[in-house]
Amino acid sequence: MADNMIQVKRLNKVYGTTIQTHVLFDIELEIERNTFTALIGPSGSGKSTLLNCLGLLDPPTSGKIVIDGQSFSDINVNKLASFRNENIGFVFQFHHLLPEFTVFENILMPHWIKSGRPGQDLIEEANRLIDRVGLGDIKNKYVTQISGGQQQRVSIARALINRPKVIFADEPTGNLDRETGAKVLDLLREINRENNTTLVMVTHDREVAIRSDRIIELVDGRICRSIDVRSSSKESEVEMLESRACVLPDSGQT
Amino acid sequence: MKPNNYEIMIAWRFLIKGRLQTLFIILGIAMGVAVQFFLSSLIGGLQNSIIERTVGSAPHLVISPEDRKPGPIDTGSAAVKEFRKAAIEERPEIFSWQQYLLELKKDKRFTYISPVANGNGFVLEASTVHPVRVKGLLEPDGPGIYRIKQKLIAGSDRFSGETALVAKELANKLALVTGDKFILRNDKGENVSLIAGGIFDLSTATGSSLVVLSLDRVRAFFGVDGVSAIEAQVKDVFEAEAIARKYSRYFTRVKIESWQKTNKEMLAALSSQSSSSYTIQFFVLFSISLGIASVLAISAVQKSRQLGILKAMGTTDISSARIFVVQGFILGATGSVAGIGIGYGISILFIKAMGDMIAFGLEIKTSYIILPVVLAVIASTLASAIPASRASRLSPIEVIRNG
Repeated sequence: MADNMIQVKRLNKVYGTTIQTHVLFDIELEIERNTFTALIGPSGSGKSTLLNCLGLLDPPTSGKIVIDGQSFSDINVNKLASFRNENIGFVFQFHHLLPEFTVFENILMPHWIKSGRPGQDLIEEANRLIDRVGLGDIKNKYVTQISGGQQQRVSIARALINRPKVIFADEPTGNLDRETGAKVLDLLREINRENNTTLVMVTHDREVAIRSDRIIELVDGRICRSIDVRSSSKESEVEMLESRACVLPDSGQT
Repeated sequence: MKPNNYEIMIAWRFLIKGRLQTLFIILGIAMGVAVQFFLSSLIGGLQNSIIERTVGSAPHLVISPEDRKPGPIDTGSAAVKEFRKAAIEERPEIFSWQQYLLELKKDKRFTYISPVANGNGFVLEASTVHPVRVKGLLEPDGPGIYRIKQKLIAGSDRFSGETALVAKELANKLALVTGDKFILRNDKGENVSLIAGGIFDLSTATGSSLVVLSLDRVRAFFGVDGVSAIEAQVKDVFEAEAIARKYSRYFTRVKIESWQKTNKEMLAALSSQSSSSYTIQFFVLFSISLGIASVLAISAVQKSRQLGILKAMGTTDISSARIFVVQGFILGATGSVAGIGIGYGISILFIKAMGDMIAFGLEIKTSYIILPVVLAVIASTLASAIPASRASRLSPIEVIRNG
């Protein structure tokens, strides 16, 4: 049996009470430890919603999520918050940095939340992390004073500071130009390999997705197909890149 | 409930980065506290001055002979009738005053205790007579109660034998200067020639027609065998009534009255003045609290994005609430300390601007500083409850989903 970091069983997500929108339908998913998974799909397919459910930010309407062997079907919000703080890192499309704080302070924030004032060891580690993401020169600038690419690298460094087991990235390159996006993607790939961090990334860009280990494609709130990039041939990659959205087997569409 | 370091750090940074908003609310709190401080010290000063004028140079306690109740004369035996008649005519006096004095001197709450002999007489000037009140005092406590030394405006404060001290108003009326002689007549029509050794000004209505002589001189001249009363001053003027009550239980043959009892109306006026000051202060505090609550509530809305991000990173609900409670506390503490400074400045400016127009100084007590500061800090912290609960309820996904 594969060593799974994430397991999802019959996950459903419905928004609204009077007018209900069913976003995710009976999702069954397993994500192997230390892999890099890309969630793709057209707008409104539910990929971000799934990511937020997996990241324990958005509680599913029904179903079960197991992360690192721990089940999260019925757990209180504060325990969820602590689990997120210690085990999960987030990278968002809009970076979601705190404008009141400098680059360095933003990166250290998850540690502050976890254990208060950082010690010398942690400050050194934060400095290494900053150098690794290439922000050494601007670490004392406020995040409002730096470029989008730099902001995204800050958010990656912030996601790493508590040495999380898994990082969820929602369109991490979505708001960046091609070159900067490629650099950010390289960084994520590198982190996944070197830190043995499980990475789950939402993207609408198939070229970005192809750089992962596995692609899961969502359509209308259902998993349409799952492609293991590592074992697939060049041809299937090209086909994957060129193909339009996947068609669900029972949808009756052509 | 103790806030973590990072909650304080975030609260502080939110405030610092809020600049104008923070500055305005701190100024708002400061002005409120300044008003409270100024009002307290103004009213405190005014009341002190009123009390000082009333009892500063007057006895706080007067022990006087019991009032005599005349009964119907035509009842009972002839001997009883005779006795009652004598009792009515007899001048009320305390005969065993030395024993009372001995007993009272043991109580450390008294600063001065002195027997006095009072008499009503007339001073003759050419063809007119001026009614005067004559008081016989015993050194050193007697003049101590009336602060004769401090109130002296001419001559010497010594009075003995034929040397008397005369109240300023009386001296003016009689055109007396120190060293002048004048004639005093008692209720029996006997005259005595006295020398005005000194002139004093008690600044009270009752003290304006006063002639002060030695206790023995008054006793001899007015035929007082005992003393007319025992007068005393106590350390804490507001304790006078309690002390009076205590001794009223022991000394049943005399009546003991405190200044509080004889100045009931003034005290009622003072206390209603205090109540109106408290009412103003309460509403000032109330409006400060509303101000803080609304500013922090706006801030909680403005910072919802940051709160959502913090919560996504693992900040708990209670932590995000505490970030706002800490902000309330910081605002209250900074604002009220600044307020005391401003209030102090206003007080000094007020005293300078009013100059001679006010005859009292402001009273600056530690409690006038500590109380508004403590109240403002408590009110600010409580006012942060609404934004705190809002912050606590915020779900991170609302922020994350909406970018």
